[in-house]
Amino acid sequence: MSTATDAAAARPAVDVRVSGTGFFAGGLAALLLVMIGAPLAMVVLMSLRTGFPGEGGPLTLVNFAAVYSNPGTYKVLANTMLFATGTVLVTLVFAVPLVWLLMRTDLPLKGTIYVLMTVGILIPVFLRTIAWILLLSPRIGLVNQWARQLFGLEQPLLSLYNIPGMAFIQGVSFVPSAFFMLAAAYRTMDPALEEAAYTSGVSKLQTFLRINVPITLPAIAGVMVYLFMTAIAVFEVPAIIGFPARILVLSALIFTSTNPPTGLPNYGQAGAYGAIMLAAGLILAYFYTRLVRHGKKYTVITGRGYRPREIALGSWKWPALAFVFVYLAMEVFIPFLVLLWASLLPHLQLPSAEAVAQMTFDNYTHMFDHVGALPFINTAILMFVVPTATMVLSVLVSWVVVRTNVSFRGALDTLAFVPHAIPGILLAVGLAYLGLAYRSYFPVYGTILIIAIAHTINWIAYGTRTTNGVMIQVHRELEEAGKVSGASTPTVLGRIVLPLIAAGIFNSWIWISMLSYREVTMALALGTRKNLVISTIVWQFWGNGWVPQVAALGVILVAFAVVVVGGLKLGFSRLGEWHS
Amino acid sequence: MRSIRILLLLVFIVLGGSGAFAAPIDDLVAAAKKENGFEFYAPSTLTPLGAQALNAAFNRKYGLNVKLQYNPSGNMTRDIGKIVGLSASGTPPEWDLMVVTDAHHATLWLRKLHQTFDYKSIGVDPKAIQYDNGTVNFANQFVLPAYNKQLVNAKDAPKSWDDLLNPKWKGKLGVSTATHHLGRLAAGAWGEEKTTQFVQALTKQELMLGRLGEIYQRLLLGEIVVAVSLSDSELKAEANRKAPVVFAEAVSPLIAPAYHAGVPKNAAHPKTGHLFAAYLTTQEAQKIWEKYAGQSSALIPGTSAYKYVQGKKVVYMSQDQADTVDRLSREYGKILGLSGL
Repeated sequence: MSTATDAAAARPAVDVRVSGTGFFAGGLAALLLVMIGAPLAMVVLMSLRTGFPGEGGPLTLVNFAAVYSNPGTYKVLANTMLFATGTVLVTLVFAVPLVWLLMRTDLPLKGTIYVLMTVGILIPVFLRTIAWILLLSPRIGLVNQWARQLFGLEQPLLSLYNIPGMAFIQGVSFVPSAFFMLAAAYRTMDPALEEAAYTSGVSKLQTFLRINVPITLPAIAGVMVYLFMTAIAVFEVPAIIGFPARILVLSALIFTSTNPPTGLPNYGQAGAYGAIMLAAGLILAYFYTRLVRHGKKYTVITGRGYRPREIALGSWKWPALAFVFVYLAMEVFIPFLVLLWASLLPHLQLPSAEAVAQMTFDNYTHMFDHVGALPFINTAILMFVVPTATMVLSVLVSWVVVRTNVSFRGALDTLAFVPHAIPGILLAVGLAYLGLAYRSYFPVYGTILIIAIAHTINWIAYGTRTTNGVMIQVHRELEEAGKVSGASTPTVLGRIVLPLIAAGIFNSWIWISMLSYREVTMALALGTRKNLVISTIVWQFWGNGWVPQVAALGVILVAFAVVVVGGLKLGFSRLGEWHS
Repeated sequence: MRSIRILLLLVFIVLGGSGAFAAPIDDLVAAAKKENGFEFYAPSTLTPLGAQALNAAFNRKYGLNVKLQYNPSGNMTRDIGKIVGLSASGTPPEWDLMVVTDAHHATLWLRKLHQTFDYKSIGVDPKAIQYDNGTVNFANQFVLPAYNKQLVNAKDAPKSWDDLLNPKWKGKLGVSTATHHLGRLAAGAWGEEKTTQFVQALTKQELMLGRLGEIYQRLLLGEIVVAVSLSDSELKAEANRKAPVVFAEAVSPLIAPAYHAGVPKNAAHPKTGHLFAAYLTTQEAQKIWEKYAGQSSALIPGTSAYKYVQGKKVVYMSQDQADTVDRLSREYGKILGLSGL
């Protein structure tokens, strides 16, 4: 009797809980819809208007007519496609062998290589590009100078100022991202096929090319589409390498439309260019989603706790290490050395005895005279607020998507992925337009909050992919046990689910924090004197011709980030040990 | 009658000496004291130390304790565009006083975006007051082609603007986004047709493009050997004084953009802005500006700039050329490939 009574009493409670979850999920979906939809709506609106934000006026198609009737637009589109394709190819040439070597073989010094790859991420792409100019510029690049001396060449051996040069620099900078995206697929790959190949006498290289690569092709294809989407949106390399040589890509065109080198901003044309980018992004997002689903059908990844055997490299160990070293030299050592060198000089110059005699620490000692504390404070705010907001939203979205039976959970998941189809520059321009045109409703223009909002929206797709993945791995039994014990849904989420997925969340938190720290495109598009961050200061210094100061700032930042990230990682691993 | 005149003169002297006729400046000082600080946008070549020195001297002169917040210019064109954009949306400008070139202030003047003030009433030389009381001209830049003397012998350096079209410079020239330099030639010495032809011919020289600071850096590194036009702001900045970049001094005419200080409309602290704009014309401020930023006014006899222009053919920009310079700067930006498509 008492059981029946309890059950009867429990039924309405269940109903209330279900409707509460639905209400919560609906609120979350509405929040995301506003966050993502508002800047997008602004992009569409600005493309249909002339003049400045807030001026109003009738809707018109003149911006589209101006953009699409200009043959130059199609050349820019072709440049963008070539640049993005080249970037992806360069990334894969380095990332796939690297991930195989580090995940599947007994390559020595793996721990050190991991640390160095993380350091590489911390050197802003923008600073690395300056280093590459010093190496590969046709006239002054050290590589070209040496080639002239050694081979007596009259023409430069290599030049950066073309699409392959741009794609090379951008591609190398994407390697760590691609590496971490592919790592899981390679780490958990079933070794049975590899072992069968070795038993049949197939070489390691052939096995890599004919077994490992085809098996992980869906994962690689997914990463390719992801990187392609990112490559069409990046701005730094096109600005520093492409623009001086008149090689325009779509992102540079949108940026120069809103921040013109001559004349006044043209938001309407930025919107019209943005429409192409948005369409491309949405199409690519569709293919990406399909590829990821398709990849799951062919998965060879085994269950948790699986530990594949490492392949002995034998005499291939040294060539493999040499390959890794070449990559790390390009990604970390050379850029950092160039930064260090430039930071110690009164003005930028190539290595010489005269330059050595002029070395000074002035650029370090006077750093705060040039910068002040505000950009550091703002950057610290971004590095904390953006990953925290992103991960909180991601956990809530993933909880609804993975753990509830809410009818629109699939739509919510798709909505959370949409920001990846929106290039950052477009998102920022849309938010800037929103902040200027509707400042009484959205009074955040010029504050650090608007950059934090842009970053949060931009990385929520990444955050939810991570939290979806880790949440799926936590068995429902634990939550059910909690609920049976009388814990409320928020308590179960906070005290059972969150601690179990904390490691995954923390890793993503750090990664997003680093991305926010080095992001420049959105920060520039939304920048004012009050929300200066370090990345925009770096851009400003370069524009002012203060390269030695930029270099000193770069060295300080890398050192700072290494200490902070290293400390956090160490602290967390100890915490993890204590918990376990 | 004569005694009445003498009496009036005495009254005038006494009242004048006691400050009764110094009301405009006193009012401005009192208002600046209330505002207690302002946002100062100025060229990056001034440096934070230069801005601090100006701030300290300004406070000493007027018995103030206002805090000058220095905002080094990253890109004058972009920031003027920002003022225009903010104004359209009804948002106040970020800066209370802007020191940019006369060509950049022209963009604001054409759109009536200056907070005007009767600068003459506080003793500013009328010759220095421009754009219908919108700005104060207090210093001059000088612009010429510049070269890296480690890579080009002085005897081989360009001797005229047209020398830049010599095929020997193909692939070795850089041009900056400061297309108003060329717009000034068009509005003044050369006329529009000749200048436009010159700009079109320049495009065949495989130019490297960039902002002024970037072009300077690329010249310093040797990526280019000659900059089509560079201002002395880059050459005279303290950090660059030992660098191997010099003007092609034989080239004529010399372009002389002026630095104007002006308060944008709806600025939060306009009184301090007006007072500081006037202060920049004082000898004391001129010395500080020249020490840090490297420029002085070519209009004030005895200054370095005044001495430098003697015997030279100089292109100054006047208010009536504002529209032409504004239009041609954009057009040349397009021709050179600096403004997107």
